[in-house]
Amino acid sequence: MRRRTFLKGIAATAASAGPLIVTDRTIAQTRTIYVNTWGGSWTAAEEAAFFKPFTDQTGIRVKTVAPVSYAKLKAQVQSGNYEWDITAITQAELLRAEREGLVEPVDWTVVKKEKLFPNAVYANGLAYCALGTNLAYRKDKFPQGGPKTWADFWDVKKFPGNRSMLNNAVRTVQFALVADGVPVDKVFPLDVDRAFRKLDQIKPHIKVWWTQGNQSQQLLRDGEVDLIVMWNARASELQQQGHPVELVWNGATITTTMWGVAKGAPNRKLAWEFLQFAVQPKPQADFANKLYYGPTNPEAFKYIPAEVSRQLPTYPENQKVAIKPDTVAEADQTAKIQERFTQWLAS
Amino acid sequence: MAGELSAAAVRTEAAPRSAKGNATAWFLIAPSCLALVVLFVVPIAYVLLLSLTDPRLSIAHYQRIFTVPVYTRVMVNTFVTSLIVTALCLVMGYPIAYVMARRPGWISTLLLTVVAMSFWTGFLVRTYAWLVILGSKGPVAAAYGALGHGQAPQLLFTTFASTLGMTHILLPYMVLALYAAMRKIDASHLKAAASLGARPIAAFREVFMPLSLPGVVNGSLLVFVSCLGFFVTPVLLGTPRDMMISQLINQQIEELLAFGFASAVAVVLLVATCAVLAIYNRFAGLDRLWG
Repeated sequence: MRRRTFLKGIAATAASAGPLIVTDRTIAQTRTIYVNTWGGSWTAAEEAAFFKPFTDQTGIRVKTVAPVSYAKLKAQVQSGNYEWDITAITQAELLRAEREGLVEPVDWTVVKKEKLFPNAVYANGLAYCALGTNLAYRKDKFPQGGPKTWADFWDVKKFPGNRSMLNNAVRTVQFALVADGVPVDKVFPLDVDRAFRKLDQIKPHIKVWWTQGNQSQQLLRDGEVDLIVMWNARASELQQQGHPVELVWNGATITTTMWGVAKGAPNRKLAWEFLQFAVQPKPQADFANKLYYGPTNPEAFKYIPAEVSRQLPTYPENQKVAIKPDTVAEADQTAKIQERFTQWLAS
Repeated sequence: MAGELSAAAVRTEAAPRSAKGNATAWFLIAPSCLALVVLFVVPIAYVLLLSLTDPRLSIAHYQRIFTVPVYTRVMVNTFVTSLIVTALCLVMGYPIAYVMARRPGWISTLLLTVVAMSFWTGFLVRTYAWLVILGSKGPVAAAYGALGHGQAPQLLFTTFASTLGMTHILLPYMVLALYAAMRKIDASHLKAAASLGARPIAAFREVFMPLSLPGVVNGSLLVFVSCLGFFVTPVLLGTPRDMMISQLINQQIEELLAFGFASAVAVVLLVATCAVLAIYNRFAGLDRLWG
């Protein structure tokens, strides 16, 4: 708001003070930042919640490049050729990127500390939103009540049906541990051997290991599988389309997605200006209302209707039953677990 | 490589070889040589360099490829799958190309249209089509049930599905390569064979088939090499057990930022592909690939 009044002030001054300031505004309007994003409905929600309001307010244009590529962050910094300034990135990946020196430190001359919420800054990035990876199932397959825990997902006798899981080592290992009886707040440090012993039991029953979000929706929508591991907003989307889908928060993983600025990015000053804007309560709420990934700014819930709040990963009741994450442990162990998982899947 | 070839060609054609003519020839091919160096030689050299230096100077990445079972397995699987797909394309493509080349008229036009249409349809679209056809609610499963066999076996997410998908996508390459070779075979050869008493089968075996061999070799090479780099189709239709080399490279780069290891895998794939080309060159001659 304050900024808009400020701009109006400039406009008023420009009208009276002559061509010099008008030129300044013209330059301001052609300034552009480039954001690496996932495309599809994700980018559409961002466009409405972040990009358009930001451009309206500052005159800085936002262009997007899809899909998100962690590898490109490294390649850009190594080569010095920048396709984008800002990227969305998972917290564990951001931590690894920060350790490799691939991200800009927060520019505190642009970002105002007093306008941030607790834990907004991590590994030189700003918290963007939270994404749940949940157990989801088709209600019509289980009229007597569906699975409620990962132990139920593993119980193929009590809950018969085709199953699918996400082809992601670190997530899958956590689910296996909870299925084996590890409490959700004790999953880390990961007992990898125990997890793989548990995974051996479910492997023959997994019809497909999916890799892309729309693939997971297609599987559940077409009834190709009855139980599946799925990102929460993808499942909510199916519910909104009228499909009989239920989402379980027990033992879900909640991963924070971060915004990061590529080290040495040409428009980094403008990038931090955008990020300062994007983590404020109103834009965060606008995004969450469109796409059910949770806001990281607790103030955002003021602008979100209660029935939507309950379906978001950062809703306190959902967080309570989800796995308690440990980003440092995850970042440290990912490569090793991934190699073992690939080997396990291929054998 | 192609640069050297064309240089040689220019030199043999400039009959009275003069220093001046030579200089002109080099001048003329310089732009394409430069393009080749910038677009191919430099990037490949960079990949090779990365595989030996990222994160530090060592041959550890190569040792890992050949000692960790899963990576060796992925390599072997990639080559075996490519061989199977090539063989299937050949078996299915040969009769189609034969009819197209030997039976001019509406049937040949129709076949050519069908082959060209699937050639032009995006492979992603064709892969998704198989998801529908082979799905548990798809026409194959429905036909199976309607014939009274009960529940159809799982077709999707199997090695069968991914092999079928890849064969379908690469078949047009094979058919077009065969067709190009067969069209060049003069029909009078077969008439001559018949006039000398050969029955149709013998004429085909003794005359037509040997003359079509360049097409067989070209098509097979094209399909085999394309198949080595397959990515999306096995991911969507197959099982994790069918992992191909490019999936491995993608995973190493996108999920683990392991540029060095991924480069090493790419180099091994490249060397293996070159080995195939070298064998081809030994027996068939690379220059025949271009007609």
